[in-house]
Parts: sequence; structure tokens; C-alpha cells
Amino acid sequence: MVNYQFGRGRARWIPYLLLLPGILFYVVIMLGPSIATSVYSFTDASGIKGSAINWVGLQNYREFLFMGQASRDNYAALGRTLIFSFFVTTIQFTLGLLLALLVNQKLKGVNFFRTLFFMPVILGAVIIGLIWSLFLYPLGGPLAKVFALFGMQSEFLGGQPTVAMAWVIFIQIWANLGVTMMIFLAGLQTIPSELYEAARIDGASSWQVFKNVTWPLLTLSINTNLLLCIIGSLQAWQLFLVLLGYRNGTQVLGYLIFAQGFGQTSGSVTSAFRQGYAAAASIVLFVLVLVIGLTVQAILRRREERILG
Amino acid sequence: MSKKVLTLVSMIVVLAMLLSACGGSKPAAAPTQAPAAGQAQPTQAPAAEKATLKVLVHQNPPMVEFMNTFNEKFQAKYPNLTVDMSVVNANDLSTVTQTRLTANDVDVVGMFGFANAAQPYMKNVTPPNWQSLIDAGLMMDISDQPFIKNYDEATIKDAGTYNGKVYGINLGRVSYSGIFYNKDLFTANNVKVPTTWDELVAACEAFKKANIPCMTAGGKDGWPIFVGAYGLIGAEYPDQAKLVQGLWDGSIKWNDAKALEMWNKMKVYAQDMMESGASGIAGDAAPGRFASGAVAMFPGGTWYGPAIEAAQPSFEWGYIPWPGSNNPDDNKHLFGKYDQGWAVADKTPNKDAAMKYLTEFSDPANYQAFANAVGFIPTQPGATLGTKIGKEVAPYLANFLVGYEQYWVAPKGAGQYANPYASYFKPFGTYDDPKELADKVQADLQSGLDANK
Repeated sequence: MVNYQFGRGRARWIPYLLLLPGILFYVVIMLGPSIATSVYSFTDASGIKGSAINWVGLQNYREFLFMGQASRDNYAALGRTLIFSFFVTTIQFTLGLLLALLVNQKLKGVNFFRTLFFMPVILGAVIIGLIWSLFLYPLGGPLAKVFALFGMQSEFLGGQPTVAMAWVIFIQIWANLGVTMMIFLAGLQTIPSELYEAARIDGASSWQVFKNVTWPLLTLSINTNLLLCIIGSLQAWQLFLVLLGYRNGTQVLGYLIFAQGFGQTSGSVTSAFRQGYAAAASIVLFVLVLVIGLTVQAILRRREERILG
Repeated sequence: MSKKVLTLVSMIVVLAMLLSACGGSKPAAAPTQAPAAGQAQPTQAPAAEKATLKVLVHQNPPMVEFMNTFNEKFQAKYPNLTVDMSVVNANDLSTVTQTRLTANDVDVVGMFGFANAAQPYMKNVTPPNWQSLIDAGLMMDISDQPFIKNYDEATIKDAGTYNGKVYGINLGRVSYSGIFYNKDLFTANNVKVPTTWDELVAACEAFKKANIPCMTAGGKDGWPIFVGAYGLIGAEYPDQAKLVQGLWDGSIKWNDAKALEMWNKMKVYAQDMMESGASGIAGDAAPGRFASGAVAMFPGGTWYGPAIEAAQPSFEWGYIPWPGSNNPDDNKHLFGKYDQGWAVADKTPNKDAAMKYLTEFSDPANYQAFANAVGFIPTQPGATLGTKIGKEVAPYLANFLVGYEQYWVAPKGAGQYANPYASYFKPFGTYDDPKELADKVQADLQSGLDANK
């Protein structure tokens, strides 16, 4: 253990003073709004400045979890959130690893492909929405033309909820695959080449090298990627907004919260703002993310200790 | 050592001040801008002072085009005033209005006519946005403004008054229960303009045989699909205020025999009449698609008229009320709403400029130009229906009725299917069987009604 010496007397407070801006920033930007959200969830706040805010106790939670068909629709949205998260995480994780292995080879033009695969990450949700809406335009869009060659047609994003959801999963993966790939690539480049040489000399096959050298030594990257994918996909909502809008059978919890909070549930311009209710819904989502996140983290940490000691 | 500590502390204090400055939110008012009259500020700025008037409107291409021209004229007349107009998607208008009013970042707001107010028979419902904004003191009482008198009394009362005070001027009514039709295609294919449901079905079959898609709509925006079929609700339920009350008190059900007839027709509309691929067409692009001559009909609101004209000026089209019934007399109504209007932010530091803007806009000549450009049914008594769409709807204006969605407020706890939307049918939704859908819609509504007993 290193013991940093900052002197004596008042000088001992220097580390804490140095930490203060960071802590202040965290409290103002992260902790404050989180606490405010939990308080809001017990009120009928509309989010409109100057409007009366009444304490309603657990009413928002009761409505979200137990009131009529709307609460059952919320559970359905919860189910879709989990399905979305499962597919995004498994596919993005696997593809990210494969791409990282591919672009980690010493091949000509590999830097070009690294950039190409990473490029969608820098695009904002609105740009992504625009690109894919044009690409999936059912009346003569590029993919519709390809489908037509095989005598097929599809409404793509505007079609059946399952089809629309599948497209959002695909686009979410496309948009974020670069980050997963980069994290794996960074992990791969920290593995000493001597280990690969030793394994080869011992006669290990490519699969054995991957299984016994690459995979265990990627543990930290695996953990980071899994957590980022799971938490990111559980909280996803922007792509649902820009690609689908508020459509029955496609809402995930994150989008449901936005729609409730900002009066976009019915497609009507005269619907109501319900930020107290939306705050309660976001606390439910927070609990979900927390439980899944902590469970996954505990499992990964145990695995990490087992492998890396 | 103490010198070093002092230096460090100073740096931290400076950093903290910088951070807190980043988080600060001050009204965007320029120092030269005038404080609002009636507010706590000391004086009202003279008109000669420079000010930037922030205006918010929703995306409606002919209106945006008109507003750009109007703003130029306004700025030419008042060189010290600059208009900074933002345009947002109609679906986002309420969100942006709320956030910008809350942040004191807007002066004049485009706002739809007041609707969806809670009725005495509705229990435990959330007030509509406009009502919350007024209750929160974010919208200005403009009852005493002289330009109010330019608009007809009924409009001011129905679409801009709350608790006896005027908060908005409404600029026009629109109908959304009609169908645009391509006159050339009807003539070329020897198809009669339909006045009954059976004739409409026959017309679509004739076009299909000729490989011409019958109808199109801007399905990508979601609402144009179900709004396009609002005429079918009207054919069954002409008194839509009564319909809403009946749904709340249980005397009307979405799965009774009468409603089932409506659902059967909606299935035909969604699956047989609407062209495949309509779900990908953006709301703004649909008029262009129709004006291209590729489709025979375009169910939609009168606000699309100018956009169709602009897309193809020589294109010959007409507009008819939805022939949703087999009795032609049931099909003479046009259902609609009060559309775009103006409201003023109560906290605006540019009240004088905002009032000049609305006064100028409400000038009969300017208003007539606006009505001509946008195709609204005028709300100023002196304005005429000189536009093409105006002439098309003129024969039906005596039968203009406010539509269902302007009255409807869903009970809390109602499911997401508690609406009479044709878009629940495949290919836009998941339902194929009208009876199954009717039962689902009623069950979703009933669930909310029961939860509030």
C-alpha cells in the first residue's frame, strides 16, 4: 500500500479539496436529479414550472404496477425491455468479439476497417433514425428494392411490432458495435504475444489458444462489455422514439417513461404531462437495472477472481 | 507550504465557480429587451429598442412558408425587431412548448385550439397540457388585446378561452374526415366519385384492377393512418360529444353491433384500401405522393390541400367527406377541430413586440393571405374561402362538427388499445379479426372505467 504524504496540519485536507470539484459535479449532475426523481415519484408533478405539486404517496406506483389494463401493458413493456436487452447483449457481445479478433490481425488495411466498424458510434440517434428510415423506406427504398428482386415486400419499421422490434435491435447493435469491438480490441492488445507463441509451440489448436489464452485474459474486457451492453440496452429509448414513435406493441420501459413524462402517449398533441408518474416508472426501471446489474456484476466478479486471482 | 495550499484552494474555488456558472439558467433575454407589462419589472421598453422575438410553430410546410414571408414583412416594418422562429414536428410541439415556456425561452407559441377538457362525467382524469400551462401561469391573459375582436366570438370562446379569460387566438378550423381524390384517375378509369361506402369499396376495387393503389397516407408519423379513417367513426356516430359521454357512462361500447360495423369497415380501409408501404411515408411526404398521380385517393385533413397544390399546381383533385355509410345523408358531415393558434408566454420580456406580432398577423389582409396559404377554414368573419380546398369544403361547412378526439380523455388505467384506431389492424398493427379487436378495445377501455369507480 502506498501512503501519500501531503504534509501536516491543514495540508492534510488537500486531497479532499482536490476531490471536492468532482464530488460537487457528481452531486449536482447525478445524485441530485436521482434523489429529485425519487421524491417526484410520490407527487403528481406535471413538470410545468409554477404548477401545483401535490404529495400523492404511493399512488403513482399503484397506478403503474396495479391499475387496470394500463399496468398490464406496463408489464408487457417490461417484458419487451428484457427481450430487447437479451438480444442486443448477446448479439452485440458476440459480434463485437468476432470483429475485434478480425481487426486484431496484422492484415493490410486493417485500420480502415477498424474505423469503418467504429464509425456508427459517432452518429447521434436522430441521424441514425434518418439513415435507417431512408434505407428501410418500403416504397422503393434500397432494401425494399432488394426484397422486390426476390418477390418479397415488407413494411419494415412500420410493420408488425415484432418485425419493427427486430429492426430496432439490429440498428441498436449496428450503432453500438464499434464500442464493444474497441474494448475487446484494447483487451486483445494487452495479451503478451509470448503466450500465443508458447501455446503454439505446445501444439495448441486455434480453438485451444482462444479458449485457454485469449478468453481468460479478456476477462476484464468481457466484464466491461457485458455490463455496458446490459445496462445500455435496458435504458434504451431514443432509437424507439426516432424509428418507431409511440406504437402499441413496441414500447420499451425507457420510451414509456419519456412518453408519459412528456405527454406523447396517444399521438395527440393535447395529451397530458405526467412527470410524477413517469418518475415512478423510472424508479421501477432503476430497480430493474440495479438488480440485473448487481447480479451480473457479482457473477462476473466471482469469475474474474477465479480466473485472474 | 501554506502558500501552495492557498494557491490550490484558489484554483478549486475558481473551478467550482466555473462549474456553477455552467449549471446556471438565466432567461435568454438580451439586456436591451423590454420587460413585460404587468410583470414585476420596472418599465416597458420603448418600441424602438432592439429585441428578438422567439416564435414556436409546428411543422406544416405551407404554414412555415407563409410564416417565413410574414416574418420578413414584419421585420421590414419593425426594423428593431428580429423574429427567431423554430419549427418542430407536430408530435413534439407539446413537449417543446412546455420545456421552452418553463425555461422562459419563447415569446409566441403556436398552439392547437383548446380541447380535451375534463367533463363533469369524467372521473380522475389528468387535465390537458394547455390547461396545465395556464394554471401554472405560463400563458398570458390576452383578453384585452384589440386584435381579439378580429376573430369570431365562437372561436375565441371555444378554442381560446379558459375560466372566462382569453389565452389564445385560433387561426382556423380544419376537417380531418375527408378524402382527396385524383380527378384524372377517376375519369380515366371511369370511376364515379363515391358517396356511399359500397361505392367507395367498388371504386377501390376498380383501381386495384387497373394496378393503381387506392389510397395512401403518411403512416410513418403514426397518426395519419388512424386519423385518415376518422370519417368512419363519424358515419356511425355523428354526435361525437355524445359518443364520448356514452363511452364513459357505458351506454355505448366499442364492441356493440354498431361499433362492429365500424371495425369491419376499418379493416377494409387498412388492409384493402391503403397501399402497401404506406407505413413508411412521412406525414409531410404523403401530399407529394398523392400529387404525383400514383394513387387514386388520399384520406386526410384539409391542411394538406395547399401542400398538394404546391407539389403539383396543375394536378386536378377534389375533396369529399368520408363516405362511411351506405346512406348518403350520413356522409354529409365534416368532422374536424380548431387547428393552429397563437398564445403568448406570460413571462415574456418582449410583450410589446409579441402584441405587435399578433396585431400584425391578425390584420384582415394578412390573415386572409394566411388562410389562402394554409387552407384553413377561416376564423375571422371577414375572411373568405378563396382557396381550392376552401371551395371544396364550402358545400359541407354547414355540417361541420367537432370530432371525437377533441372531446376524448381516456380514464387512468385504460389500456393502450382504448381508441377507435384503424391502425390496430394489420399490416400497421397486429389484429386481423374485427370482432377480436372490438372486444380488446372495449376491454381496455372498460378496465380504466372500472379502475376509477
